Amino acid sequence: MGGLKAQTRLVALLICACFLLAPSALAAETLVVHENFTPDRLGVPTNLSITANFLSNGGAPPSPVIKLTLYAPAGLKIDAHGAGTCSQNTLTLHGPTGCPPNSRAGFGGGVGVVALANTVIHEPYTIDFFFGPTSHGHLALLAYASAVAPVPVELVVTAHEVPAPKPYGLGFSVEIPPISTIPGASLASVESAFATFGATNVAYYETVHGKRTLVHLRGMISPKHCPSGGFPSEGIVEFANGTSLTVNPTIPCPRG
Amino acid sequence: MQRTSTPRSTAHRALSLSTLVRRAFTLSALLAFTLCLTSPLGASASPGTQASGTATIAPSLLPNRLGAMGSLRLTVNFGEGPSSGAPLPVRRAVLRFPAGLGIEIPHLRSCSIARLRSRGPSGCSAESELGTGHALAEAMAGSQLITENISLWLFLGPFHNLEPTFEILARGVTPFDEQVVLTGTVVPDHPPYGEDLVLSVPPIPTVPLEPDASMASMSLTVGTNKSPHPNQANTVVVPPSCPAGGFPFAAEITYADGSSGNAFAHATCPGR
Repeated sequence: MGGLKAQTRLVALLICACFLLAPSALAAETLVVHENFTPDRLGVPTNLSITANFLSNGGAPPSPVIKLTLYAPAGLKIDAHGAGTCSQNTLTLHGPTGCPPNSRAGFGGGVGVVALANTVIHEPYTIDFFFGPTSHGHLALLAYASAVAPVPVELVVTAHEVPAPKPYGLGFSVEIPPISTIPGASLASVESAFATFGATNVAYYETVHGKRTLVHLRGMISPKHCPSGGFPSEGIVEFANGTSLTVNPTIPCPRG
Repeated sequence: MQRTSTPRSTAHRALSLSTLVRRAFTLSALLAFTLCLTSPLGASASPGTQASGTATIAPSLLPNRLGAMGSLRLTVNFGEGPSSGAPLPVRRAVLRFPAGLGIEIPHLRSCSIARLRSRGPSGCSAESELGTGHALAEAMAGSQLITENISLWLFLGPFHNLEPTFEILARGVTPFDEQVVLTGTVVPDHPPYGEDLVLSVPPIPTVPLEPDASMASMSLTVGTNKSPHPNQANTVVVPPSCPAGGFPFAAEITYADGSSGNAFAHATCPGR
């Protein structure tokens, strides 16, 4: 276990979000993002949930996303004590089942789109997030995206921690390679996405001093203070057609 | 319901569902709980069991004797889910039990839901515990079908409008440290059934934005046949007579997607 530093910033989580935000641009000119904490309290272990939907003005699918950068609110932290790590190689070769259960960082999914001739194919996909090995003290998140039908797709990408400008606390960035599906079809893009990061109720047994002990992961820790107007975050989506889209979703402050 | 006649000195504690003031319930109720946990429904015939669809249910009485006091173990296995790989979660279950099946409860004690939730099984009196068991829960999260071993405890709940209630605490530890409490009420039925157990099954949460979990299989043992002090233990009472064809069981299940299903089964009559 162990591996990642305790109290590391939540940035990693945001990375996941990036993945979610992926699509957009061409026909999809508006990206609607909602974020919230569960439980919705200050300074406690929590889950960060993100949903993203592209609202298209036309019938064509959005341009494929090639890069995502996410900035998380200041004060959001990751307590990875007790968490393991998985490698991109393992995830690529064996899929999620090859990663240690305690390296799980989150879950997600959504609907992808592919244009074939005059037909737009909508396809559900899932995302599995894992903690990757740290690099020079910086977190890394692995994302395993999978779609089964009608077109099988598997993709593993790594989100790296990047410096975050104020008022954000941490940033993650991930580059997404072109996703080809079937001959004659467009590259895959995203129509909607959702993800949840954190581990408020996750527990594993591990041997401590020769004794089997139940260890609860703390996962993500919500900020202790909420700025007026809510927690700021930012997502920058870069598309294959050279355009980009920036969204600034706000996580509402806890009530009461 | 059926009045359970017992030769024990604690006969006055014997519970029968048919009594006007129901101080006890038929064992059916307990079984019902079991079923409620699970999704699909299958009826079963005694040791073996056949069920509709891919579900199976297997009741077993120990000792297997008419009028005997002991335990009833009910094992339910559910097949593959329609598409996700996990069984559909159950939201409501009406379980029908054979007339005459009863529970002997020497010391009538109940446990409140609030107490059960906050303090767990150890927070309730031993006299209120009617059974234990285990289950396997499944949920799709990300691309994976996540499974979790669940421990079950069955308790007698407070009477509501003079009707007995039941509670089942289902607790899993890893990978998700979660617990839910199922509750049920008993209503009279028509022959060949004795009583119905009506269960409301709450959602079993996993993580935000991901589907709720559902039970894939479970086994619940009600009563005991191993107590060193049988007269002081909660036991299941086998009906004194068995109808031709065996003891009838049935269930009406309503799933989370709004669909419903029925199952019927007969448990073979015990030997004399």
